[in-house]
Amino acid sequence: MDPVTRRSFLIKGSAGAVGAAGLAAGGFALSSIGDTEPALSASELEELDGPVVVQITDPAAGEVAVLFGEREVTFTDKPLVARVLRTAR
Amino acid sequence: MSSHREAPGILKDPTADNTDVYAFVTPNNTVTIITNYVPSEAPAGGPNFYEFDDTVTYQINIDNNGNGRPDVTYEFRFETTNTNPNTFLYNTGPIDRLDSPNWNHRQSYTVTRISDGRRRTLARRVPCPPCNIGPRSTPNYSDLADAAIANLDGGGRVFCGQRADCFFADLGSVFDLATLRPFQSLHLIPTANANGVDSLAQANVHTIAIEVPIDHLTRRGRVPTDPMDSKATIGVWGAAYRQKARVRGYDYGSRNVGPWNQVSRLGNPLFNEVIVPLAQKDRWNSVGPDRDSEFAGFVAQPELARLLPVLYPGVFPNLAALTADRADLLAILLTGIPQGLIPGFQNFTGPTQADELRLNVAIPPSSRPNRLGLLGGDLAGFPNGRRVTDDVVTIELRAVAGATYPLVDPNFTPDDAVSVIEDGTFNNPGRVLLDRFPYIGLPYSGYDVPAAS
Repeated sequence: MDPVTRRSFLIKGSAGAVGAAGLAAGGFALSSIGDTEPALSASELEELDGPVVVQITDPAAGEVAVLFGEREVTFTDKPLVARVLRTAR
Repeated sequence: MSSHREAPGILKDPTADNTDVYAFVTPNNTVTIITNYVPSEAPAGGPNFYEFDDTVTYQINIDNNGNGRPDVTYEFRFETTNTNPNTFLYNTGPIDRLDSPNWNHRQSYTVTRISDGRRRTLARRVPCPPCNIGPRSTPNYSDLADAAIANLDGGGRVFCGQRADCFFADLGSVFDLATLRPFQSLHLIPTANANGVDSLAQANVHTIAIEVPIDHLTRRGRVPTDPMDSKATIGVWGAAYRQKARVRGYDYGSRNVGPWNQVSRLGNPLFNEVIVPLAQKDRWNSVGPDRDSEFAGFVAQPELARLLPVLYPGVFPNLAALTADRADLLAILLTGIPQGLIPGFQNFTGPTQADELRLNVAIPPSSRPNRLGLLGGDLAGFPNGRRVTDDVVTIELRAVAGATYPLVDPNFTPDDAVSVIEDGTFNNPGRVLLDRFPYIGLPYSGYDVPAAS
């Protein structure tokens, strides 16, 4: 795994963007999660190819792993994890 | 089985299940390495015949510095295509050549060599032969199979496709409380002695085989000629990898995502099958050989060595009294055999304990191979690499029973039974091996097996 901050992951363009897209596609109601992030651009959306899987690997620590392509990156975001898990309850 | 369905996890994933690994020196300063997958293929298994998996990465790994990690890797990725969207059939007529328009469902593959962090494509979109279906669908099968042997860029050859499984063992008997039919009158639950039954006598597998120059595998590209050269031995293992996650619900079933995780591996035959406890087999399949010190205790005190004296009362008294760690097996399976134990031989790779098939490439092929390999005085046979003719079940059975312990303790005398025990199976006369690459015989055809009564 490549440890990264959530911000550094998100600013990588399509990879970060598809993390949020994957969550939405998974059926969660997460409209508030991306409030502080700019919406995906058309070019970023075009770059999406294949699934993105977001796994909460450590709920207590707020650790999240994002699988895309042949890679895996991790970041920590306790508020995000809390909101996701409360939504899933 | 050597490593057919040997762990609870991989038995559910046959296209990634590495069943056997072979590595042996071949003419013109080459080494042939074979890894087999898809255990126990029934030749008639259609209409969707057996195949490699496009979502698996298959690797042949070579460790040439003794650290249990790959220094050279040959990677194989497959691609499956259907040429006729309007038929349920594998083929709509005879397949008489590899580009036959009658062949609907076909596979090709790309070979990549990885070394020093660099990837080099050695062959691209090489066709696999079809499965051996029968005389109408795959006439002249030998020609089809031969046409599927391709050259590798930079030297060497490759073949990927269906073959007859050349591993032989009496599985039905061995898995019935370690019964050896020729000696079952001596079993704790005795019955009359009988001949062994080769449970894989008519089974196919899918073979990945390469024949590559020795200097493509060794440290610093050398061609050692002295068997005592410390750099003359390479360690070989096969491994299969799947991506971390699978997401279902796509138009064509599923998509895979994430980094590649190891799901199967194999160096020495029967290591995970017979040495590693059931509860740890899946973990063993998921880690590399450099982690095998975690499993060394099971080699030092093998469960089978404790079972034999119990299941064959009075037959193995010396083995029963042997309580010391099995330094002989630790060397054979995990580090290689150091100098000084067998005259003119060593395949020691250093102190790192790793299950690798160790091959001293300075030892030339034997002109008269002995099926018992080193136990038969043939330095070119298992456990110096492994040839397709080596009787690894008998070799390992006798070694575990104490045949090799005198190498480390000259005062130990193996029990009389050790020199004769076997499961009673041999290379089936109907299983024709080749004297040329890829050495494993042609697959059994679905039309012919099982035979008409």
